[in-house]
Amino acid sequence: MEIVNFAHGEFLMLAMYVAFFAWLLARLDPVVSFPLAALVLAGLGWATYHGIIRWVLGGPMLAQIFATFGLAVFLRSAAQFLWGVDFRVVSAPLLGGRASLGGVFVGLPQLTASVAALGAFVALHLFLARSETGLALQATAQDRQAAALMGIDTERMFALGWAIGAGCVGVAGALLTMFFYVFPDVGAAFALLAYVTVALGGFGNVPATLLAGVIVGLVEALAGLLIAPALKYAVVFLLYLGVVLWRPQGLFGRF
Amino acid sequence: MIRLIAALFVLPVALATTLAAPLPASAQSQEIVIGLAYPMSGPNAQAGIDDKPVFEIAAEIANGTLDLPFPFYQRLKGMPGLKGAKVRLIISDHQTKPELGQAEAERLITQEKVHALVCCWASSVTATASQVAERYGIPFVNAESSSPGLTARGFKWLFRTSPHDEHFTQVMFDFFRDFQKRRGVKIRTLGLTYEDTLFGSDSARVQRELARKYGYEVVVDLAYRQRTTSLQAEVQRLKAANPDVWMPTSYQQDAMLFVRTTRDLDYNPRMIMAQDSGHISSDFVKEVGREAEGTMTRSPFADDLLDKRPIAKAVNDLYAKRAGKNIYDLPARAFTGIMTLLDAINRAGTTDPEAIRKALVATNIPGDQLIMTWDHIRFDATGQNIGVRAIIQQLQGGKYYTVYPFEIATRDVIYPIPAWKDRK
Amino acid sequence: MAAAGPLRPFLARAVPLLLLGAVAAFPLVFTKPFPRHLMIMIFLYGALATAWNILAGYCGQISLGHAVFFGIGAYTSTLLIREAALSPWLGMLAGAAIAVVGSQLIGYPVFRLRGHYFAIATIAVGEIIQALVINWDWAGGARGLFVPIKRPDSFVNFQFHESKAVYYFIALGLLLLALGVTRWIEGSRRGYFFRAIREDQEAAASLGVHVAREKHWAIAVSAALTALGGTFYAQYVFFIDPESVFPLSLSILICLVAVLGGVGTLWGPLVGAAVLVPLSEGTRVWLGGGGKALDLLIYGALIVLIAVFQPGGLVGLAGRFRRT
Repeated sequence: MEIVNFAHGEFLMLAMYVAFFAWLLARLDPVVSFPLAALVLAGLGWATYHGIIRWVLGGPMLAQIFATFGLAVFLRSAAQFLWGVDFRVVSAPLLGGRASLGGVFVGLPQLTASVAALGAFVALHLFLARSETGLALQATAQDRQAAALMGIDTERMFALGWAIGAGCVGVAGALLTMFFYVFPDVGAAFALLAYVTVALGGFGNVPATLLAGVIVGLVEALAGLLIAPALKYAVVFLLYLGVVLWRPQGLFGRF
Repeated sequence: MIRLIAALFVLPVALATTLAAPLPASAQSQEIVIGLAYPMSGPNAQAGIDDKPVFEIAAEIANGTLDLPFPFYQRLKGMPGLKGAKVRLIISDHQTKPELGQAEAERLITQEKVHALVCCWASSVTATASQVAERYGIPFVNAESSSPGLTARGFKWLFRTSPHDEHFTQVMFDFFRDFQKRRGVKIRTLGLTYEDTLFGSDSARVQRELARKYGYEVVVDLAYRQRTTSLQAEVQRLKAANPDVWMPTSYQQDAMLFVRTTRDLDYNPRMIMAQDSGHISSDFVKEVGREAEGTMTRSPFADDLLDKRPIAKAVNDLYAKRAGKNIYDLPARAFTGIMTLLDAINRAGTTDPEAIRKALVATNIPGDQLIMTWDHIRFDATGQNIGVRAIIQQLQGGKYYTVYPFEIATRDVIYPIPAWKDRK
Repeated sequence: MAAAGPLRPFLARAVPLLLLGAVAAFPLVFTKPFPRHLMIMIFLYGALATAWNILAGYCGQISLGHAVFFGIGAYTSTLLIREAALSPWLGMLAGAAIAVVGSQLIGYPVFRLRGHYFAIATIAVGEIIQALVINWDWAGGARGLFVPIKRPDSFVNFQFHESKAVYYFIALGLLLLALGVTRWIEGSRRGYFFRAIREDQEAAASLGVHVAREKHWAIAVSAALTALGGTFYAQYVFFIDPESVFPLSLSILICLVAVLGGVGTLWGPLVGAAVLVPLSEGTRVWLGGGGKALDLLIYGALIVLIAVFQPGGLVGLAGRFRRT
């Protein structure tokens, strides 16, 4: 859609709070409550589109950065205002411990999260590539005017895009609470990595993003092990620079 | 266009005018105004928010509306040295940014006319704010910053009641020595992991020096990016090197993530010796305290001795009522800092900065009047409290107990820490 | 209600002069440090945003890594004071020179990129450099560096402890320099090249604009001006660490200031600074002590509102005034 959401990390933070409160108030484990988080976040994404994005869509790219950045500050402070600055953890999640994958230990929560994320990826890809709505969405992303001429309700498509995007964040955030703490500022570190990952794969290409995610994860882990943990993000960013030097549109970018 | 610019020029001018306007002066009695610049928003907001109740308690003691039945506090009741002058606190927010700390200190001194500052929690902010106090000649009491360099700058107006990293780290190595003797175990190798800002790198520097001095081998020496999204690589390095003692220096986000990561990767350190902060924060204890069983940390505050030390218990009762949780290291140190300042002002008998400074220099508060387990509060020529004493605590069953010095210990050390697979 | 015909050009000349006079007289009227500090911050952020605007607003290359140049300025002068006892004024020039060299090295890979790929690449460069400085022990690492305090105040040492007035005029000078350079570029051949690249890079290239060279020019000027601001910051705060002079949040703030005022216009960045700085300082001073983040809540909401209702920046308001 050619819009970068600087409040992405804050969406993630809200999703984590949803999962946390579901656990705190109703004893719903994140494994169970993630659809709820996805729904809430999708609603938020939809509302964000209608409340804010629609109005800045016609403006320059910078106005969009500006608006979503303001939203990020707003959401972060709203979280502090409402829930305080305490660090919360979903203690004793349903899934704990480790699984051994061919001699390599992987935390069970992480494994579950990976599988669920993979599932979300596949679902998203199938939706975009196979369903009529998904194709309409892609068409809108590629050329708004042309899509409108073809009779696609681009307005609805944009809102849908925001809802789906935020919904995916909802899934990720909820699953993340299984092994990560929650607090109002939690989103920032993830959002930056997400931004780089997507660009590394190339905007507008779901399978490429998945591949880029795996690469970023591997590079981060290897750099931490072999070079120095303090420089692991620097290595990830260096990788990005290297890749775009070679392919200015990311690995498989279309635009 | 031009009119717009002209119109916009009015905005800062208007703001400057209102901010520069003198405050309504209290006519009836003299006031003691104390400025407190703390992180009240941003990633470290919790520090400021948890400290706020102790400042209010301190002010109420001084204003005579709160009774703490111990001689030192009775003497301060109603500030008799200034004939009942009222203490007014101004709490401001520096968001843990050094430049905002500087601006706030300056604003508090020049606009709000504070007579003294208690500031700033984070070492990097204390670094800039104390320069301002030095320039204006305003007493500056620091109660929490642990970077040793702060009191090595030859400042006249900076007083630090808190121990710094050298004190804190010394106690760890004293403990290693005594513990080996007592239990007949061998400790040879250390693994350091530390976050990469001022706090972590200072702590690691001292740990490295002391390790060399006492002949320990540092087998892991890892800085990691603060507030990282993953600590898998760090824990894997530790697991591979398997040092006798793992010594983490972390703020609370990372401390919590470390616990989860060690569990997920089945890393079983025999001994964990943490550098306070993250590993002792109330959220850490509340949320992952049971999983972090056996973690030891240096601490300046013995909360398990609360019941044994009536003075600490009395302050904690007041604190718990306001904050909804028990007092812990940071608010306890903040309380000690502001009370030290109030005592000096009371003895000075005036709000004249030079008189307060002289009184601070002459400070001598006996240990039995403190909620900390320190020997006393007396400042050396650099403004550092030399009566500090750090202790070692260990998490046992989800609560921290004092385990060292052995003569005030409430529990025995659990060693080695049970492996993850042996826990329920 | 527009001014009558012959009056307009007169006003156009008189108002800036009057404003300049008012600005010059400001420290005489406001002797307290805080209002002066506020104005200094407006000038500093105004200058930084104006410098950013040269690259982003005129040339269309949206950089989110300008903190790199700011940090280079701050670190160069401070290290030179500490290691070579060099006057910060010379350090300032050295910082600008290093920033120019650095900008050319950065420009080589990133200028091949467009849009978001470019913006992210500048973020990546910023993050890499910050990580390197944090782990660079000789330069203080994460602990940062103190600028050695020298008293009494002296112009050579660039330290003024007694009064903020000198800082006020130095910051004003930086701002005027940035505005002057922008004004000069705006009217020059180069300025037209820049805008041609911003509007349509291919079209500009086909018309014979040497796109790569012009972009390198833009980033060099922008980086040098930003580095001057960095040295000023170091001499104003006397303590620098990677968290305060290299962070992504600073890069974004610089961008926000410019966007708020209006990118690609001479006065936009200054207007943005004149609104955003008092807004953030004011909300923090009045509401920040409560620990409820009310200040940032209001700040964030206002940013969103401005973006929604005035996406072209505040200078767009001028057009509205004129029409009424």
